[in-house]
Amino acid sequence: MTLASFCQWLQDTPWGTGIRESVWVFPIIEGTHVLALALSVGVLVVIDLRLAGVLMRRQPVSQISNQLMPWSLAGFAIMFLTGALLFWSQAVKAYGSIFFRIKLALLLLAGINALVFELTLRRTVATWDNDETPPFRARLAGVLGIILWAGVIAAGRTMAYNF
Amino acid sequence: MHALLPFFQWCNDTAAGAAIRNSRVLFPIIESIHLLALTVLLGTILVMDLRLMGAGLRRQPLPLIARSLSPLTFWSLVTMLVTGFLLFSSEAMKSYESPPFRVKMVMLALALLFHFVVFRSAVKSETLGRVRSTATALASLSLWFGVAVAGRAIGFY
Repeated sequence: MTLASFCQWLQDTPWGTGIRESVWVFPIIEGTHVLALALSVGVLVVIDLRLAGVLMRRQPVSQISNQLMPWSLAGFAIMFLTGALLFWSQAVKAYGSIFFRIKLALLLLAGINALVFELTLRRTVATWDNDETPPFRARLAGVLGIILWAGVIAAGRTMAYNF
Repeated sequence: MHALLPFFQWCNDTAAGAAIRNSRVLFPIIESIHLLALTVLLGTILVMDLRLMGAGLRRQPLPLIARSLSPLTFWSLVTMLVTGFLLFSSEAMKSYESPPFRVKMVMLALALLFHFVVFRSAVKSETLGRVRSTATALASLSLWFGVAVAGRAIGFY
């Protein structure tokens, strides 16, 4: 089965068809997907700006991050769940959209950025936790995170259009 | 409502409105900026609302959080109002007919009023009781998310 025929099969399942053709379910899922942006990326931006040495510079990085990250992750859980349901109902359209492909690529890069940070800098945070200006690589991770997520949002919004 | 019709017509006829209407890429670009600003606006307000309810940044004093975040909140709000007006001007006559648009404008007026009259002084206060701070957070969340929901609904109905 090719990827394209998988997408066709997926959106033809009863669930895919049901979501796509519903009067209320699709708008509710999409509305939730948009609102959860505030919780997921919106809260992450505050953490990333501390990491970049822009906000709350006198507060320990780990303190800001530990207190806010569970909320942001809860937001991302909602994003992935609602995003998966939206994809389910419009898999063929998404598959054919260049902006969906850009979105997936940027999501992957954002994930790699976060993973690299967790595996390297996060382990040494005790040595720079109170730095008003964190080490260059930590600031880079923060700024990259913001740029990549902004790209994900813009590409996601643009998926609705055919160019 | 009829009294406002000439205003909608004028907005619709502005050069900016016509330019966005006649371009394939301007609307999606401005819409994306509108959405990015929404993320920052609602994200920063959410961090303050969580703190008002005793969650999130509990180890930081609320006035410190408010001082740090308020420039971000303010400039993302300005960005939303400017991009929002541009989007509106490109489809002002359509908006005039749209029930969700009317709901959004009423919610927006209430949210702005609440934000500048109640919220901003509440988050600067060191001594807000538990009940008042929770009520402030819930009102702020409901009003802003109400604006966003009504805004999203414009595209559907």
